[in-house]
Amino acid sequence: MKKIFNMLFYVLKFILLIAAFGLTLFVLIRMNIRLEKNMASIIQELIPFAILLLLFIVNLIFKQDGVNKNLFYNLTSCLVFVTIVLVALRAILDTNMVLNGKYGYGIDFNFFANFVAYIKIMLYGLSIANILFMIRERKRTIEKSKEA
Amino acid sequence: MKKVLFEYINMFAYTITGLIFGLSFFLLFINFYHMQELNETVDLKSYNETNKASVQSKVETIRNNINVYNQSTYGGSLNVYGLNNAKSKLEQCLNVIESDEMMKYFELDNVGIEDSYNFVIDFKNNILNECLVMQIKSMFNTDTISLLPNFNLVKSYVDIDVDNLLDSIGYVQNNIENSDHYYFSTDTNKNNFFDLTEDSYSYVMNDYQSALDLLVEISEWYRSIVIGG
Repeated sequence: MKKIFNMLFYVLKFILLIAAFGLTLFVLIRMNIRLEKNMASIIQELIPFAILLLLFIVNLIFKQDGVNKNLFYNLTSCLVFVTIVLVALRAILDTNMVLNGKYGYGIDFNFFANFVAYIKIMLYGLSIANILFMIRERKRTIEKSKEA
Repeated sequence: MKKVLFEYINMFAYTITGLIFGLSFFLLFINFYHMQELNETVDLKSYNETNKASVQSKVETIRNNINVYNQSTYGGSLNVYGLNNAKSKLEQCLNVIESDEMMKYFELDNVGIEDSYNFVIDFKNNILNECLVMQIKSMFNTDTISLLPNFNLVKSYVDIDVDNLLDSIGYVQNNIENSDHYYFSTDTNKNNFFDLTEDSYSYVMNDYQSALDLLVEISEWYRSIVIGG
């Protein structure tokens, strides 16, 4: 049962990461168009996504079970991405938020901007936790090689 | 020693993951809660019916008061350009009040936060700007009106009332716009937020009635000078 859930969250975290990245990129591009800001300023906001994606790929390639088979980590990753997706979708679709339609952009930039800091905290936190779980994995490998 | 260090690293990794789990859980569910709260509607059917009757009665009073003047039958000594101007401005105000854009709010049975916000914006654009500022305030700045009796008394009264109405509506608009932000709220914010839809709606409705009262006063003044002069 644990294995099934783990596999489910493991697959989901990749899909949700792409969805969260795509929606965040969409809102940030629209926000920069509205503010007439340089598009290069978006890169800074997307760095945590890139770092996390890189770490996930490293986990996948080197088969790091300390991360890949960690149900709690995979569940937390999914929860974080679901939160980001929900916030982005609300900024776009929730017309009960009055600023959504006020300026005619169809996106509540104010609402989304409030969550950017939390998004960064969560993504950097996941990256740090991922690296720490990797260290644990490395230690086991060393022990195994010593036993052999 | 190495083993203890790795155990600590592992524990630290779980602590960070746990904190992130808590934060995302909090943000996820507060978003659902906020979404649900913004979707709430308030039953204001009887309130709207009462106010509609009041508005119609005031509109009728204004219409009767301005209809006492007819240029072709008027035999008084007052400046007819001034009387014509005042009548025309008040008639334009009546058109704005009776427009579908404003009357639609009295037909609403259930009012949501978006309705309250739209009511604020329409009231501000139509009643305050289009009627009170563009018609009434500008009317009292024309030379022909200044020749009419008691002009100074009515003008100062109108200026104070219109300024008060313009100031008060900005507060309601800002308050609704701030409802989009919802995190780490205090008890005071929550209490305000729960009643925001109803409070804002009734606040604007009170301002609406005050604006109409002002127009009734002006029309009474108009009627008195037409009959007296």
